[in-house]
Amino acid sequence: MRQAGPSASVDDGLRAGIGLRQPHYAEVIQASPPLGFVEVHSENFFADGGAALAVLTEARERYDVSLHGVGLGLGSAAGVDAWHLDRLARLVRRIEPVRVSDHASFARAPRAAAGAVLHANDLLPLAFTKASLDILCANVMQVQDRLKRRILVENLSAYLSFPDDSISEPAYFAALCERSGCAMLLDVNNIMVNALNLGAPDPIAHCKAFVDALPQGIVSEIHLAGYCETDQIVIDDHGSRVRPDVWTVYEHALRRFGTLPTLVEWDTEVPALAVLTGEADHATRLLRAAAATRAGAALGV
Amino acid sequence: MNIEAERQQRLMAQLLAPRADTAALALRESGSRALRGLQAYRANADASATRALATAFPTVQALVGEADFEHLAREFWRAAPPLRGDLGEWGDTFAAWLAAHPQFADGPYIGDCARLDWALHRCERAADNTLDADSIARLGDTDSARLAMQLAPGVALVESAWPIVMILDAHRGGDDAAFAAARDAISEQRGEAALVARQGWRATAIAIDAGSAAWTRRLLAGDDLAGALAAAGEQFDFSAWLTTAIQAAWVKGIRVLVD
Repeated sequence: MRQAGPSASVDDGLRAGIGLRQPHYAEVIQASPPLGFVEVHSENFFADGGAALAVLTEARERYDVSLHGVGLGLGSAAGVDAWHLDRLARLVRRIEPVRVSDHASFARAPRAAAGAVLHANDLLPLAFTKASLDILCANVMQVQDRLKRRILVENLSAYLSFPDDSISEPAYFAALCERSGCAMLLDVNNIMVNALNLGAPDPIAHCKAFVDALPQGIVSEIHLAGYCETDQIVIDDHGSRVRPDVWTVYEHALRRFGTLPTLVEWDTEVPALAVLTGEADHATRLLRAAAATRAGAALGV
Repeated sequence: MNIEAERQQRLMAQLLAPRADTAALALRESGSRALRGLQAYRANADASATRALATAFPTVQALVGEADFEHLAREFWRAAPPLRGDLGEWGDTFAAWLAAHPQFADGPYIGDCARLDWALHRCERAADNTLDADSIARLGDTDSARLAMQLAPGVALVESAWPIVMILDAHRGGDDAAFAAARDAISEQRGEAALVARQGWRATAIAIDAGSAAWTRRLLAGDDLAGALAAAGEQFDFSAWLTTAIQAAWVKGIRVLVD
């Protein structure tokens, strides 16, 4: 059974964060629960003004804020939308986030050759090829040049994949980070969802191997969330507690990389805030345990 | 077109196609598993469409019912897919699309209700207003033909041959009497002009008379105050309007027109 909150006997600076979503705006601002940071979807704050932006500004006075995009389409062969990048740059100036991230996905493409470039507003999968890596690197560098900061790029849960993949996903991210200077946002739930959808005989071992194949130093944040099983496919719905198999891989990642800013996301069937902060508290306990283990190892105990 | 551009275009086309079909996609998955994967993305699109349009068009959703609205949202997503990665920006052509939709041949006010919903939605996303109080003094020392009034960001005028404000108010928590009054006004085809403005964070609409509508229309067009006053007619009480407008934060300021 989980403890009521994080252990108070260790460094309070190590705390997991939560994805801040609309149902929790008022309560988070009012109660200001102890959190390492809050993360929001950048696009929800692209408006010129209004209530959501005011809430985020208030949240920024209480917490570090991480801006996590879902719509840059960093892997789009059609490139990054200048309008989108302008809005993101404006938000970065307003909020001064601790981190800015988006996904290794494409979102923008025409539906017919030479047609208007549409935006799917979804995290559409990339092929792991040299050609797609070239596109992704160029787009990431364009964004970093504009924002004048390093961004983080997250691995996807993908429901479709491509037969001509020529690079393993960890090697793809290693090359992306090396070439563009970006960092990786490792979504542990996503690698588990992919392992399950792949039918990996031992999904936990599969995910640990993924983590082990990533070079040291490239991962700058970890995401955790829940998934759900449907017929034939596991969906990354961010609609439930983090699963035990994901916690296991998370602990493995902490052993490998050391403590990292960690976020618990919950986007559908959003529960009471206490349920979400309870999940973040559990991540905090694991972070602190990992820190204690590493400190002990450094002292030879 | 390079291989990745072509791959992405094909997937986009299948996401927007009337029915899920993986035949045109070169995938590692095959058969029903490939189809299920494609359906997962198509389901995301359907959910995004409904969520985005329900946020922007709550009155339309209430008028047509949730199930029909969901169908309309899916249809509109395929007819006029988003161009931006902020779904709050998507929907500017929804009102015109609805007005032309054969399903609403017997409900001609739906398009105008959608126009009002969209104006309210835009108003709530507009820049927060700061009154330039000093600029108001220009009203006392400058010829009105050389002045224009800047209304607060998001302030809009929606004019209709239907009682769109009564319909809005009925669906925004109105009682039975409000619905009955709206139905009567629809049957009599009583038109309304709606002034949209923010009250705190929430955008609201109030019905205004023809003179106020003419005045507002001219202000929004950037016309000079003398011309706007002439358009408003003799019944229009500028002093009373200004007091209300400043209290209600409809005004951003006065600017001097350059010759």
